[in-house]
Amino acid sequence: MRKKLVSILMASVMTLSLMACGGNTGTTETGSGDTAGSTESTETATATETAAPSESTSSEMTEVGTPRNETLIVETQTPTDVPGQFNTYMQGTQAGFGIHQLMSAMMWEMDTAKGEQFGEVADGMPESNADFTEHTVKIRQGIKWSDGVDLTAKDVAFTFNMIMNTSGIAASDYYNSIFESVEATDDYTVKIKTKESFPRLALKMGVTIWGNDLRIVPEHIYSQVDDPSTFKDENPVVAGPYTVKSYDPLGKWILYERREDWENTTVGVVTGKQCPAKYVWFRYLGDDTTRQMAMIQNEVDILCEVTPEILSTMMEANDKISAWYNEFPYATSDDPCSKGLAFSEGQGAPYDSADFRWGIALAMNFDEISMNIFDGAGRSSPFGILCNTSAFQELYGKPLEGWLKDFELDLGDGTTVKPWDSEYKNRMAEKLGITGDDAYLEDMFGMGCIKYDPEAAEKLLIKAGLEKKDDGWYFNGSPFTINLTYLADTEAQAGRGVQAAYDQLTKFGLNCNISSESSATWDANNGTGNFEIAGYWPTGFITKDIYSQINGWDADLIVPVGEIGSGQGSRWNNKEATDIIHQLAKVSPDSDEAYELATEFIKIQFTEMPFLAFHSGVKFVPTNSTYWGNYPNADNAYNGPWWWWSCFKYIVAEFNAQ
Amino acid sequence: MKKFWKNANFALRSGIIITGIFLVIGFVIYLIPHADPFNFNTYEPKLGSSPSHILGTTAMGQDVLWLLIEAIHNSLVIGMIVATIGTVVGVFIGLLSGFAGGFLDRVLMVVTDTFVVIPSLPILILMTSLMKGSSTVVLIALVLAMFAWAWPSRQIRSMALTLKERDFIQTARFSGEGTVQIVVTEILPFALTWSLSNFMNATLNAIASESSLAVLGLSPANLVSLGNMIQWARERNAIFNKQWLWIGSPIVATIVMFIGLFLLITGYNDYLAMKRGR
Amino acid sequence: MKFRTYFLKRLATWALTIWIGVTFIFFVPRMFPSDPVESMIGQIAARSGSMDPVQMDALRRSLRVQFGLEGSLTEQYTTFLWKGLLHFDFGPSLMSYPESAGKIISTYLPYTVGLSMTATILAWIIGNLIGLLAGFRKNKRSSKILEGIAICIYPIPYFIVALVLQIFFAYILGWFPLTTTINSFQGFGVFVASVVKSSILPALSLLLVGTGWWIISMKSLAATTSEEDYVLYARYRGLSEGVIGTKYVLKNSILTQVTALAMSLGGVFGGSIMTEIIFGYPGVGTLIQKAILQSDYNMILGCITISIVAIATATLIVDLIYPFIDPRIRYS
Repeated sequence: MRKKLVSILMASVMTLSLMACGGNTGTTETGSGDTAGSTESTETATATETAAPSESTSSEMTEVGTPRNETLIVETQTPTDVPGQFNTYMQGTQAGFGIHQLMSAMMWEMDTAKGEQFGEVADGMPESNADFTEHTVKIRQGIKWSDGVDLTAKDVAFTFNMIMNTSGIAASDYYNSIFESVEATDDYTVKIKTKESFPRLALKMGVTIWGNDLRIVPEHIYSQVDDPSTFKDENPVVAGPYTVKSYDPLGKWILYERREDWENTTVGVVTGKQCPAKYVWFRYLGDDTTRQMAMIQNEVDILCEVTPEILSTMMEANDKISAWYNEFPYATSDDPCSKGLAFSEGQGAPYDSADFRWGIALAMNFDEISMNIFDGAGRSSPFGILCNTSAFQELYGKPLEGWLKDFELDLGDGTTVKPWDSEYKNRMAEKLGITGDDAYLEDMFGMGCIKYDPEAAEKLLIKAGLEKKDDGWYFNGSPFTINLTYLADTEAQAGRGVQAAYDQLTKFGLNCNISSESSATWDANNGTGNFEIAGYWPTGFITKDIYSQINGWDADLIVPVGEIGSGQGSRWNNKEATDIIHQLAKVSPDSDEAYELATEFIKIQFTEMPFLAFHSGVKFVPTNSTYWGNYPNADNAYNGPWWWWSCFKYIVAEFNAQ
Repeated sequence: MKKFWKNANFALRSGIIITGIFLVIGFVIYLIPHADPFNFNTYEPKLGSSPSHILGTTAMGQDVLWLLIEAIHNSLVIGMIVATIGTVVGVFIGLLSGFAGGFLDRVLMVVTDTFVVIPSLPILILMTSLMKGSSTVVLIALVLAMFAWAWPSRQIRSMALTLKERDFIQTARFSGEGTVQIVVTEILPFALTWSLSNFMNATLNAIASESSLAVLGLSPANLVSLGNMIQWARERNAIFNKQWLWIGSPIVATIVMFIGLFLLITGYNDYLAMKRGR
Repeated sequence: MKFRTYFLKRLATWALTIWIGVTFIFFVPRMFPSDPVESMIGQIAARSGSMDPVQMDALRRSLRVQFGLEGSLTEQYTTFLWKGLLHFDFGPSLMSYPESAGKIISTYLPYTVGLSMTATILAWIIGNLIGLLAGFRKNKRSSKILEGIAICIYPIPYFIVALVLQIFFAYILGWFPLTTTINSFQGFGVFVASVVKSSILPALSLLLVGTGWWIISMKSLAATTSEEDYVLYARYRGLSEGVIGTKYVLKNSILTQVTALAMSLGGVFGGSIMTEIIFGYPGVGTLIQKAILQSDYNMILGCITISIVAIATATLIVDLIYPFIDPRIRYS
């Protein structure tokens, strides 16, 4: 019988030692010296590229049979449910699976380093008449579709008309409500007439954040199709620098191959550069454990984003792995979506009360929240739905500093409080041992945050109609409980923010529940307003013009709770803000008037706090330079690290083989 | 009692000791006043082992030891609620259908069989995502209990069927005892010994199911359970950051607790077999 | 002949079980807070920025018809019974719209059957053989060690075993890929090689965990059987241990195990979720999970219906052939 005990102990020890070995990553053996790749497909053999590295049949192969040193491997965060579907006008196509990063033709692309748009298919920015109802767009010459046909103004006009005439395309009604007519006047000119004044043609029809739903399609293919909204397009003809070589019928990977006529692709025509990677393999890697092990083993070159814990592990284990900064804070804080707490104001009192929302804001210790989310990394973003990117801070934040310092809240008992706290950056710097001048710290931690003031918070909650009794908070005579929700399995920043907020509010004395929801459940609940406080990111800031970030907050779009409207699920009903949105719609985005209206809007929403933001989008974006180099980073910021945006193709063009 | 211990085999003895230790941790030590271990930022984060924090602290500044004690408590509570419901309902339905026979038996057995064939994990995922925020220890236990009664009731029924034919039951019947009385006085003692081993098995299964749900991210986000503790540590990459105390303690606790329960079950069954053999 | 009545009765139970199970699974998702059509419209609206109310209503109606959500609950239910249960036509999948749920299930089913089914059956065979040895010769040292290992591995939660295997064999040793990559475009040989290479670790993890239980249960069965009078008598008659082991002990203990196998085969469909997630292996388990998270009613129904039918049928078959294996059992 003693033997039994011994074997129990042995097994337990073994299990533990196995777990323990997980961290010792002295052996970064690559496990992909496989046999599967040895059978080179005949298609691959047509390697007559000038720039391609020497015929490397002997070197390592990827699991899809391409030479590893000619393949850029990029992670995609979710597998696709519709493998083989490359038509982005069809429901369910996952554009972020390399489709819009490598193949789509956009009218205007974004230079994320400068924050400016430039023409991709369009040759320069549109020219409009005085009241912005007629617009002339020049089309670039020299772009060819991957089957050799020229991309012309006719394709552009066809795409617009296809969207307007196909009711199955989601954007169809919107296009019909805006455009009177779109036609090609010659091979390289498109005339667009809008029904009303439309000053933001390029901002709305081109890329600002992530991508744009307008992707030019080849007329000679799509005009042959009965219904473009049900056409899978399994062998897409594209204008981008890569075409599909193969895909996984189970939706886990897509292999792209560089076009041989690269000088006729969008990237080739715009930059004159050839993308160095012959193949780009977008693959889904699975859970966090697998992702980091794969990158340490050099089985993936770019991961979308990771948590700081994963990044530090990977950087320790493999010195080829780096991030935006190679020291604290490692992450870039310039992702334009700040994460924080959304209130369902359509639920009525107390959520529709600015006092309540301010009370919640003051009840939480932001320093602790920061430490709980990403160990203090990230720029604070106290401007609600406008994300405090470094551009925003310079353009709008700094000029408002005086106003913010003087801003007062009426606590309802005759006292007031000034909730602005500009010492945040210094406290964090001290805590984390960071030294630098004010400007450096301000860029790293932000110009300030909302003060932690539980006493004022209590008064504000009481002002909003809550009652504090010995056993907790009451509202309308019954115990008051807040349900906090966050999205499971995506956006660690948002999820951790809600967990930290739960902790803060519970300690403050409010009774809270916390739960996670799948994105499908959340989509419905957000639309119908069926939540109380949720971790979400209905925020942004990318161009100086803020109209497209705020027009969803138009109070006219609000529908009753339970219905899904086209406005924000938070249902912030504010007349002044709505008036500004309406005025801004008619003002040229570059005018001083637009800037002043924007400033006014920022003040109103700071006063009302419809959305309580924590940090700007903090992204830990790891890259592995074993096979490819010249990734953008803080010292070489030719572009942002936005692998999942459509501007990725311009980043790829800058890489070089190691 | 002394005699029992003397007769008990090694598996039973070690099972009793291990399970006993866990019960003491979960229901006695748990009562020592302490700060809510779930609260963040209570202590300095990421501390190693020290006299004040024997198992260190988490990345969120929680004390791992108290978190573990609370997790053991909650997991045991979940396991025991599920096992109680499962066993009581299972025994009741099994006896009922075994003794009533006829139409009622057939209906009950079809329902029971249905719950045996429905795959449980998908339904559990379905139910937990249905409950979302409202889920508490008790609710999650109720959902797990949905699948805990069917198998025992099948077993009890077949046991009842064989018992029915035994002599002493027939005797009781001839001497004019009613069915209910027979069940209570003659059958239940038999069923009880079996139920005890089923109870422990059900506890083990329930804790395992809860951990699976937690690893899938579906256990309530503020429920301190062994599964959730593992999941939280995994989310903060404790495995690769070598925070062994944090990730290791719930895993080791789960494994040891399961081995303890399991030894208890097998040991108990062997003990019964041995006793019968005498 | 009693067999006929027994057969008919058993068949009726089989049909009833499936019907109740399927009905249960039909109504549960319909109590969901999230409505698949609303969530789909929400996604479309979120992407396009704005949507006309008239168009939204039209879209809502057409989606409802396609997803089988139009009409009263009874109508939906009868349609489902007719189309889904009798023809295995579950309608289109929401997440992979307009592909039919049935077709998607059929792409994933072979992987599940191939991996989990094989692993379950292998575990059953290995576990029973070891268990038989351990139980039959229960005082031998080797059988005690085997049983000790089984007792230690069996209670470890599956995901821990899987994670340890993945970290050890795929990461530290690098013998196997970290995640599954199916290469289906370079010919059949490459495809099979990629499937096999990706399947080894998940199969190993399932085997490790699965075998433990069979060892333990078979051991106790065999131990009890080998104490029975007829085995003692056989020993007395001087029959070789091998003959006693296979002819008497195995034959009499295996019956219980066959039923248990039939039951556990059903777990193959839902129970492999953790394997599939950790090793990135394609299969019905994750398909169900994804469908639940995205409120894809048709897919949920499809997967679970197939699994219910499979388990019920497996037990039916076992019950029907049982009396042929074991003459002690009569059709009753």
